[in-house]
Amino acid sequence: MNTRSIGFRVVSWYAGWLCAVFVIFGAFIYWQLAHYLETSLGASLSRRANQIAELLTSAGGNVDAKTLATEINERYAPERSGRFIRVASGGALLYVSGKPLDASFDPAGVRLPPVPTPHEMLRNEMEPDWKPLLVETLVCQAGDRSFVIEVGASRAPIQTVLQQMMLPLALGLPAILVIAILGGYALVRRALTPVGVITRTAERISSHNLGERLPVPPTDDELQRLSEALNRMITRLNESFDYTRRFLADASHELRTPLTVIRGELENAVGAPGLPAATRDSIGSVLEEVDRLARIVEGLFALSRLDAGEAQTERVRFDLGELAMTTTEQMCLLAEDKGVSLSRAISRGVTVEGDRARLKQVVVNLLDNAIKYTPAGGTVTVAVCVTDGRAWMGVTDNGMGIPADALPHLFERFYRVDKARSREMGGAGLGLSIVKAICDAHDGKVRVESEPDRGSCFSVELPLAAARAETAEETTKASEGN
Amino acid sequence: MRCLLIEDENKVADFVARGLRAERFAVDVARDGESGWDMASANDYDLVILDLMLPKLSGTEVLSRIRRKNTSVPILILTARDATAEKVRHFEAGADDYLTKPFAFAELLVRIKSLLRRGPVARENVLRVDGLELDRLTQQVKRDGRRIELTSKEYSLLEYLMSHPARVFSRTMIIEHVWDQSFEGLTNIVDVYIRHLRAKVDDPFPQKLIRTVRGVGYCITEEPGT
Repeated sequence: MNTRSIGFRVVSWYAGWLCAVFVIFGAFIYWQLAHYLETSLGASLSRRANQIAELLTSAGGNVDAKTLATEINERYAPERSGRFIRVASGGALLYVSGKPLDASFDPAGVRLPPVPTPHEMLRNEMEPDWKPLLVETLVCQAGDRSFVIEVGASRAPIQTVLQQMMLPLALGLPAILVIAILGGYALVRRALTPVGVITRTAERISSHNLGERLPVPPTDDELQRLSEALNRMITRLNESFDYTRRFLADASHELRTPLTVIRGELENAVGAPGLPAATRDSIGSVLEEVDRLARIVEGLFALSRLDAGEAQTERVRFDLGELAMTTTEQMCLLAEDKGVSLSRAISRGVTVEGDRARLKQVVVNLLDNAIKYTPAGGTVTVAVCVTDGRAWMGVTDNGMGIPADALPHLFERFYRVDKARSREMGGAGLGLSIVKAICDAHDGKVRVESEPDRGSCFSVELPLAAARAETAEETTKASEGN
Repeated sequence: MRCLLIEDENKVADFVARGLRAERFAVDVARDGESGWDMASANDYDLVILDLMLPKLSGTEVLSRIRRKNTSVPILILTARDATAEKVRHFEAGADDYLTKPFAFAELLVRIKSLLRRGPVARENVLRVDGLELDRLTQQVKRDGRRIELTSKEYSLLEYLMSHPARVFSRTMIIEHVWDQSFEGLTNIVDVYIRHLRAKVDDPFPQKLIRTVRGVGYCITEEPGT
């Protein structure tokens, strides 16, 4: 899982906040409830103490222990209701309630209140094997005697209620976490699916299919606006590409007419009888330049046509190995002439589909380059094979190699590694960009690896036409059968 | 031979007309599509050379009008556009040949001649230049009676040069004829083959036949060079 994805971050923030809110809310509820239960227990104890105090005052303080015990037991039945009641006067105990039925505490073990006793106080009593006891102490004057009345109750019910309350809170937290993550994930996924579609489509769009547009989700939200904005951007790109293409085509066209005139006139002139040899030579030199200019214009025009996606006008199936073989044969004299040996490692039956003449140009250009930049005594190897389900062709030389900083620019138009040298060899600087444009138009790739002084390897990868081979064979068989 | 040239670029029209007149053609020049069509419909021509980008009436329209009226006159299209689809469309519309600017005049001439069924169409079986003899049937080459062994590419190259003795062939023409258009950017292959051919055909003999015309190309001729 990508921890930096929007989906992951949104879900984790969302789940984190939800949990935090739940914990804070739960703690607040718990605390409120505990507070309320405590106060109401305290209030009921205080009420009871006051009732006993009233009982004592109404009797004017003249109560004996026995009457008091009967009175309290009758009225309040402390053992049964789990209460603790103790009345003392002047250091002498008048009444102590018995053990409660649930034996949650021992009345005899309850410590005496501190001396001097405040008029009214609430305290907790704890012993190891007891449930905690809340004790309300009230001091009252009845007649001339001072009584200390203590009423207590176990805190156990409060704790039971709070524990009961804790259970759903503790279970609810992970449940909420799971629901938050799952729900958030589903929600985010639904929201981000169009983003994935937009990304994939945008990946696919290149200069060859600028006519394509991103899908626009009809949701009237940010994503719709985003894809509409991107589509408008693609339209603008398309317009500017179109403009460049048109410009290039127009420029090539406009250049051709004057070139025709120059060439025609010079050819006429060079053929005129009685021309001094020096003049003939300089006209010849101009004609050579005209030829080079014409080749550059042709190259640019070829590129502009490839850019316009015109490479696929002719699609035939053919054997790349056989094409490489015959082209190598045709060019072997060129290598021989330079003292470069040409070796082949070509497997047959590597069927590709495309424009044969243009792909042949790829072989010619790469081979011509390799021969040009390999000194006498070097070797150029042409290899064709199938690797990873793709047709692969490599042209390797052990020539001068290409400096590393030049490699990324090698397929750019008019780029030259060594300006002086390549011009002297008559290149226009378009050969490799034409190779790249042709490969791109065939869904192929061209790569270069090179080490200075050790040589270079240009490799071309093209999709195999194997998938349609059977159908083609079948149709030929079928037509033979007819 | 009467020839109609419909071309709006004055200078192109001028040098083509001049060159053709030097080859003893009668050339009429029309500077726009409308007058071109008028002239083509008024007169009988042996050949029409038609530029595609014309004012008033497009070359494509002129082509189809001429074809509707006269089905036999050979029409050669000159154009500065060379998209394959367009080429096919014009061939279908009735063009006989198609030449892309900038062209070498020599190439235009070769194409015109083959359209007019003059020159090489009456194929001779044995071509001769001075003591050099090329037999198209046996594919044997001899000079002064001595047999010369050539590779098949060298043979095609020599045959092409000897098909029009004294005519200069541009490297592009040679490449298109002997190799194919994939080699177009690569004119040095022609130079290499010419060098090999010379080593076999010319070097052992005092009289050199294969001549380089700088900037233009190569030709084979018995006339001494200037």
